[in-house]
Amino acid sequence: MEDRTSQSAPGPHPDDRVKLNVGGKLFETTLSTVRSGGPDSLLAVLSDRPTHDPNPVFIDRDPEIFSVLLSLLRSNRLPSTARRFSKQELADEALYYGIESRLKSAMSPPSFSGIDASVVATIRPASDGLPSAFTAASDDGSVWIAHGGQISSYDWNLIPASTIRTHLEDITSIRRIWPDIAAVGSESAAGLHFYDISGGRHVGSTHWSDPSDPRIYKAQVTAISDSLSSVFASFDCPHRENCVLVIDKSTLQIASELGRQSGGSAKSMVPGKLTWLPERGVLVASSVTSGAFGCSGYIRLWDPRSGEVVWETIEPGSGRSSRFGDSFADVDVDVDEWTLFKICSKSGDLAMADVRNLGDDPWVYLNDKNPSMINRSEGGGDSVIHCYKKQAFVGREGGLEVWSRVEGSENRVEGESGVCEGLYRRNFVDKLKDSERGIIKKIEGGGNRLFVSRENAEGIEVWESSNSSAAVLIT
Amino acid sequence: MPPFAGLDSNPAPTRTKRDSNIVTVDVGGQIFQTTQQTLTLGGPKSLFSRVSESPFIDRDPELFSILLSLLRTGNLPSRAKAFDLQDLIDEAQFYGVEPLLVNSLSNPAQFDAFNLEKSLVLPLNGRDSPSAIATTPFGSVHVAHGSKITSFDWSMRRKSTVLTGFTAVDSLLAISPSLAAAGATDFSGLQILDLEKGFVRESLNWENVTRSGSTVQGIGSSPEFLFASFESGRRNSNSIMVYDLQSLRPATEIGHCEIYGADIDSAIPATKLNWVSGYGLLMASGSHSGPSGVFGNIKFWDIRSGNVVWEIKEKVDCFSDVSVSDDLSGIFKVGVNSGEVFFADLRNMGAENSWVCLGDGRKVVNGKKEGVGCKIESHGNQVFCSKGGDIELWTEVMMGNSKKREDGLEERVFRKNLMGRVKDMGGSKITNLAFGGNKMFVSRKDQQNVEVWQSSVRGY
Repeated sequence: MEDRTSQSAPGPHPDDRVKLNVGGKLFETTLSTVRSGGPDSLLAVLSDRPTHDPNPVFIDRDPEIFSVLLSLLRSNRLPSTARRFSKQELADEALYYGIESRLKSAMSPPSFSGIDASVVATIRPASDGLPSAFTAASDDGSVWIAHGGQISSYDWNLIPASTIRTHLEDITSIRRIWPDIAAVGSESAAGLHFYDISGGRHVGSTHWSDPSDPRIYKAQVTAISDSLSSVFASFDCPHRENCVLVIDKSTLQIASELGRQSGGSAKSMVPGKLTWLPERGVLVASSVTSGAFGCSGYIRLWDPRSGEVVWETIEPGSGRSSRFGDSFADVDVDVDEWTLFKICSKSGDLAMADVRNLGDDPWVYLNDKNPSMINRSEGGGDSVIHCYKKQAFVGREGGLEVWSRVEGSENRVEGESGVCEGLYRRNFVDKLKDSERGIIKKIEGGGNRLFVSRENAEGIEVWESSNSSAAVLIT
Repeated sequence: MPPFAGLDSNPAPTRTKRDSNIVTVDVGGQIFQTTQQTLTLGGPKSLFSRVSESPFIDRDPELFSILLSLLRTGNLPSRAKAFDLQDLIDEAQFYGVEPLLVNSLSNPAQFDAFNLEKSLVLPLNGRDSPSAIATTPFGSVHVAHGSKITSFDWSMRRKSTVLTGFTAVDSLLAISPSLAAAGATDFSGLQILDLEKGFVRESLNWENVTRSGSTVQGIGSSPEFLFASFESGRRNSNSIMVYDLQSLRPATEIGHCEIYGADIDSAIPATKLNWVSGYGLLMASGSHSGPSGVFGNIKFWDIRSGNVVWEIKEKVDCFSDVSVSDDLSGIFKVGVNSGEVFFADLRNMGAENSWVCLGDGRKVVNGKKEGVGCKIESHGNQVFCSKGGDIELWTEVMMGNSKKREDGLEERVFRKNLMGRVKDMGGSKITNLAFGGNKMFVSRKDQQNVEVWQSSVRGY
């Protein structure tokens, strides 16, 4: 390739014109356009021919799709004529010309914002469609859904890529730890298991065992998280002994064990949620138990290197007395903003705490007097919270709301009650009829999409922000 | 596919070669250019391979461009949706590339058990519900209902309905998209029917020593042979006849039993005949229900020597239906009492009591007949088992670190799922399961139609 460019004596100028004959139709474009697809694309390779050849390069493909892809190269967006082709077709053709990264960036949804989002699709697996767990697999907007012991993967276009069957009957936690490897756990079978999604094979298992302690057997996985080098999984035994295991990502061997506890009380139960905070190097573990007297639980921050607890709070019991008995129903960490968000189980209030500045009572309770936001279902017992793109998404029964920070407002905390008004605004993401589809079980964001699963509803919903100017293909 | 010409390193001398490689066609006034290599993909008999001789074709250019895309990519473009499938079929027939169209729309390689959805219903006229379904590899299907057989082609278009001499067809096998073998348990003889023209091409009979007529209990085939299990009209003898599939001449006869006395085992004729190509054996299975329970046997025949290679006698929890899978190298049955799925490894042929229960093995067999009427069929890497109105899908999980059993074979893990969305669940009892192309065919009790389950196909 290189000696060919050197052959043509006057080096090709980026404005030089290139003629292409695709399936009998002539196209004329510039060298810079053709090369913008990347150095490895078919067009760039073809354009490396000497420019004095009067005959256009002939490509035996469909000219109409080519004209769409050429517009994509010229203007970096898909023309409206792209709607005549299916997503799959465009993806296949872009793969042929070697410009799929350009297509990906043009077709991927616009930057996600909770205050402007709608359901664009519901992904329904063909059988056993009730999702038991899912993971927004990577930043390209693909998703892996566990349903009835199967794992179905959907690519960045949300096109079904593959389905595999695992030996587990019910997968309750799943995490993508490598591009093709999923870590799965079940609350009805022991161990953490690793599956190769594209090959459809079981590749390994990790079990928590301790020969010196007979109470540790049949440990089940309740939550999985991962960092660049490790997988974290919380294990729970039938007699409630529990711990978090740190597993080396490349060897899949146990590296260390964090905080073995007896599980005898609410403050020593197994964590139901694990989140890794990459820049701080801490693992956030939280556990909630709901009983006859309301919720109780703890939030604990671990330093996995030293195996020490950095900070913890146990509710009810710590914090301000006015909030006693109003312990949290769910917690999530905003990884970008280093903020903890909790949703209170009785009042349904949202509170935030700065991870960099945690003390005895770091919570700031957010108040929003939006008259249209009447708290129809009092309390937050059935609430889930997820932070994505600097916003906090709260699923309250079937309703989906978003708390977003108002730019420029200062952080005024009002005295003893710790209530802060106006810092965050609360809005509904959904319409009333959306909330009738069922209680929200899990929310997860990825690749500018928000994925929502609901109780007893088949499939998972995909929410995207609209971008009316670009061709958003809805199937 | 060789789609681009002109990628040669030294352009000057190849110009003539490139020009000869590019073919220009005028279809209905629109100019198309393509390469000779693409055109030859249509096959030697297609009009595409002769297009360079007559550069003007008086046909619709849009349909031509769809077929040209099919040649180039092997898939139908999505704009084909604007046309009826029938337009495409007619146009493909005109150009002589129908096999390519079949390949892209009804290819057995596209069968994806996990993504099957109930998508079509093939209605049958009259009041009879389907008694037997026969399929061809590329998805044509023949449905016997009452004394009639209705055929549908690969695109699920109704082709013909023919009347047979049977009151009800009990066994049906598709020899080709237009030829089927049919038999009944209450009517003498195996008939080879031409379903396009609606006549009996041949009637094959087996006679025992007393020269009485015989009924057909089961039909099977291998790439070379047609197998038929006959029982004499007085039910005192049975046999499996092997016919040459092309000439339909008798090749050999295996397992001829004459019954004298009360030997129940030899009195059971085979009702299901499956060819196991990986082992070159014929699996023949049959069962008998008497006052003391259900008994049966599964025999593996070497048809060249006429010997039984392996026989499984079913005395406890006999099969209600049994199927063999080459890909999984195993036999699968539904127990008539337990209603559970069992598996036996073909690599462990000859072992005593080889059944492994895949379902709930602890279930007490208490004389209930939970498995009555359950159907089990294997296709590809999966096993499909109907229970009432639901279909279970059994899949083998490939375990990375599987344990070895005592007999040296690794332990195999099978898991099941119920097929279909919530809205598809239930329904009347399933009477037949069949597979062809990328589709699964299901018939139900008292329903005068056949359900088609298929994975979503690109383009269509």
